[in-house]
Amino acid sequence: MHKDDISLDNCLKCSDCNTACPVVTAHPAYPGPKRLGPELERMRREGIECDTEWVEYCLGCHRCDLACPNEVNVSELIARAKATHKKTPIRTLRDWWFARPGLLGKLLTIAPGIGNFALGLKPVRLLMSAFMRITPERKFPAYVSGAIEVPKRAAENSGERVLFFPGCYIKYNEPELGCHVIQLLQLNGFTPEVANTGCCGVPSIANGDAAEARKRAADNVNSMIDAVDAGARVVTACSSCGHMIKTGFADMLAGDPVLATKAARIASATFDLAELLEVQQGAGKFNTNFAPATANRKLAYHAPCHQKSQGIGRPWYNLLSQIPGVEMEDLNAGCCGMSGTYGFKSEKYPVSMEVGQELFSGIRASAPQAVVTECATCQMQIEHGTGVKAVHPVNILLGAYKAEAKN
Amino acid sequence: MRNHFDLIVAGAGIAGITSAAAAASRGLKVALVSSGPGSFVLGAGCVELQDTERGLHSLDEAVNFFRNLTELAGCSFRGNIGEVRHLPTILGSFQTVSLAPFSMWNGAPEAAAQVAVVGIKGLSSFDSNFVAERLAYHAAKLGRGSTYIAREIELSIEKDTIPGTLQFGNRFDRDPHFREELLAALKPIAAKVSLIIVPGIFGLKSGQDEIEKLEKELGCLLCELPTLPPSIPGMRLFNRLEMQLRRTGVEFFTGFPIQKLQIENTRCTGVLLDTPARPLQLSSETLILATGPFSGKLLDTTSFGVNSDLHPVDSSGALIADNLYAAGAILRSSSARGGNAMAILTGYAVGMLAAGAGVQYAQG
Repeated sequence: MHKDDISLDNCLKCSDCNTACPVVTAHPAYPGPKRLGPELERMRREGIECDTEWVEYCLGCHRCDLACPNEVNVSELIARAKATHKKTPIRTLRDWWFARPGLLGKLLTIAPGIGNFALGLKPVRLLMSAFMRITPERKFPAYVSGAIEVPKRAAENSGERVLFFPGCYIKYNEPELGCHVIQLLQLNGFTPEVANTGCCGVPSIANGDAAEARKRAADNVNSMIDAVDAGARVVTACSSCGHMIKTGFADMLAGDPVLATKAARIASATFDLAELLEVQQGAGKFNTNFAPATANRKLAYHAPCHQKSQGIGRPWYNLLSQIPGVEMEDLNAGCCGMSGTYGFKSEKYPVSMEVGQELFSGIRASAPQAVVTECATCQMQIEHGTGVKAVHPVNILLGAYKAEAKN
Repeated sequence: MRNHFDLIVAGAGIAGITSAAAAASRGLKVALVSSGPGSFVLGAGCVELQDTERGLHSLDEAVNFFRNLTELAGCSFRGNIGEVRHLPTILGSFQTVSLAPFSMWNGAPEAAAQVAVVGIKGLSSFDSNFVAERLAYHAAKLGRGSTYIAREIELSIEKDTIPGTLQFGNRFDRDPHFREELLAALKPIAAKVSLIIVPGIFGLKSGQDEIEKLEKELGCLLCELPTLPPSIPGMRLFNRLEMQLRRTGVEFFTGFPIQKLQIENTRCTGVLLDTPARPLQLSSETLILATGPFSGKLLDTTSFGVNSDLHPVDSSGALIADNLYAAGAILRSSSARGGNAMAILTGYAVGMLAAGAGVQYAQG
């Protein structure tokens, strides 16, 4: 895994990163992380012009970082090159919007009926393809306006305070999932509240907008630091948000030492929801009042790349395996290829689909009733590539509790 | 308990993988911790003869276990202890090995054999003329009558790319048309020879059946040679072994180095992994250190050795931890040597010792 202060000389050209790269594997024309990361970084540091469009094709999956036996921060070197890469005006405009899913969400949830209707129309999608280079092959997720409710419960205020960081997808596309997260936390003895936060900034980095990512990091840190300093833990249900809070905030804010130390405090208090529930189980406080599963008994688990990059094992797989009657299979079939907004871009759509082939064939071979994965855009890609239903593990776990447990 | 295991194996080289497989075969719940696929990217896992000739105790049983493991994984090793086999290298020399992957095993020079060394147009890391000329010279020196000819085939490549073994390997795995193209290109050569030697491109994940199918359709033996990194045969061996270990319930923690080995009062309780936000704590009853030649610093000591049970001891001979074992190349910091033979032997031995299988696996 990456270290920020590692020397480029740590790269021994062993090519482990290239063998791990999903884009190299599926799309041989891609020069690969070794070339785009440490090799070109030497030239970039010398001021030698070596900008290449290929840096845009990095998925940001961090599999190269995990494969590197010598702790080179390969993907971060590529992300930095992405931030200075010159794009065509159309792509610049498109990526400006893609870097701001929070803004897009706010606008489209003002009147979601109209927005969803327009985005669903074939002519609109063809126009977006022509003028924004957004692929007409995919449908946008529906935008939903609604608050994440925190129901009052008898056990209120007795449990440990946790701050739920919802992220853009839950806020603007599936607020109901956010409600389910809150219920799960309550069922397991926590006193949750919803953090007043915005986009985590992963889409900004992915679209080469480092300034926007820094703003998002600063706003989020300022919004959460008081609660964290008062002892609250932060919990995420989106693997990319969790990955960003844990690894990205402090890096993005390195220029402001005060904010950076706050970001580091928040990072060390941040848990993926399943990671937190596993800790709770370790303390003997995980609620296992399950009814035997009736629907969704044969499930296949796909670990998102930003779950693997957090180094927390596979807590969702472990938790769902405890539901009586559920048969879980870990697909372990690599990256889905979606990478957030990447798969929506016309020029990257074919690569995105090529990358997903190994996972798609793994799912077809497994033939589950549903695929479980905690990343919303992995879910979109799985349903798009296989037609098999993809669900968030929160919904499976919450659905497994006996009715009386929920009262 | 969260992340608690019977056994933690640190290191995913031949020693670590063998020990994890041995312990899992005895029913242990095993975690395998590594910071990457290590040196598989450099070679193919051949076991050199000289390393098997060191009188290592219980090597037969360990080798049988390893051969069985690789067969289950779809990447069989052939050969045995003390077997002498001359296998070609990309430098046109012969290395003396006792065990090697099935895909290299047929490369030995046989009497009166007609051998074609086949390069791929544009692939700069494999020079068929050079390899054929050198192999002919060395085969003659060994007194073998085999003759070598150099050939070159042309394979389609992705636009604007330089041919590389990684590109061919990935396409072999994913694209049936590429396998057909390869078959068609090799077929005319196969008609005239009994063995074809090619750079290693038969996929990073493909199983033995895929490669043997190609061999059968060609009607002639195949031998692949690992090239400059990444070594496709080596990565395939790693990927197939990883898949096999996962099937037997071994849990992988990949990509994060060990920050600390937790040892208190000669008892190792677990490891801390250097993960984002905070270290990940893994705990276990027993721990195996198979972290390679430069990892002695994990033991907080520059010089250490092992006792007859493969427990690390410090320079005064005192036990570092009674539930800690060492296997593989890390033992080079002590007086032991022996490459992959040592990795298989010590990996198997400590896996069995961790499973409580008794003292007969200790080093005699």
